[in-house]
Amino acid sequence: MKTILIVDDAVTVRMYHRQLMEDLGFAVEEAVNGVEALEKGLQHAFDLFLVDVNMPKMDGYRLVQEMRRIPELQAVPVIMISTEESELDKEKAYLAGANFYVVKPAKVDELQTYAMLLAGKVT
Amino acid sequence: MGLKKERKIDISPAEKSSRSSGRNFEGLSQQLQSATSSERRWAARDLAIYPDAVEPLLHALRSETEHPVAIAIFDSLRQIGGETVVNGLLPLLSVEDAFKRNAAIEVLQEMPEGVALHIIELLNDRDSDVRIFAIDILQQLAHPQTPEWLLSVLKDETHINVIATAVDRLAEVGTQEMIPELKALKLRFPNEPYLDFAVQTAIRRIKGD
Repeated sequence: MKTILIVDDAVTVRMYHRQLMEDLGFAVEEAVNGVEALEKGLQHAFDLFLVDVNMPKMDGYRLVQEMRRIPELQAVPVIMISTEESELDKEKAYLAGANFYVVKPAKVDELQTYAMLLAGKVT
Repeated sequence: MGLKKERKIDISPAEKSSRSSGRNFEGLSQQLQSATSSERRWAARDLAIYPDAVEPLLHALRSETEHPVAIAIFDSLRQIGGETVVNGLLPLLSVEDAFKRNAAIEVLQEMPEGVALHIIELLNDRDSDVRIFAIDILQQLAHPQTPEWLLSVLKDETHINVIATAVDRLAEVGTQEMIPELKALKLRFPNEPYLDFAVQTAIRRIKGD
């Protein structure tokens, strides 16, 4: 079963995204910040990271930058999700190494479609 | 309870030498501008005992690009505390650098009295991101007015992400009397699945279901 790591400090957001991903048949794990996400990412082979930008301890940009430096996590696809909607924010996400950028509140269809595509879960 | 392992910090002879010279306020303030990052980091750490160090620390933070040094600066500002620190950190809520912004939020969360003086102003900022960061501060801010401030967001705010952030926080600190305001959001935003989910979750948690 494909597994997704949801990284967000807001508990309601994690619960909501978990529901959307579980509806697609993904297994889901959660992390509350970038540090925890890196730890979990090194312990388990995830098929996709769903990453918030603004988090304590380690923000989403830095998390993705770190992932791209770590051989085990280098190729794991990342969708960044943020309340920040400017082109500059999107550019920063892609420069950090994100594969896709979604503005909150995420459109259900869009998020689910890209999650399936990037995690390699073709139905 | 397990014993905590003592953390060993390796200090090179060069660092030892730089730490033993000029360890007064003036010397340390100068070392904040050093070209060597370890010297800046030690200077930032050692300035924590000087209440007058707020200005030089904030000044250094503006241009600091090394995260370990910036972390040391934030730690010292946290230890010094007070209104000058709050006033100096609030502008960081508007900067592009996510690391500095989030670190500022973490420090401000520990300064309830100082932040309380500014919270209304922050919740009315023109930038919706700053309003969201203000609510992020409220998330951990141990202040009795927090539920009241969050409720004002539900009533007055129009930006969906600011409201959604407030609903998420109210799930933790909200009371039964706030449920009608939460339900009203579903009527104001009938086509927002995330907000609908967040409102239902908040009500369930407030009721203790």
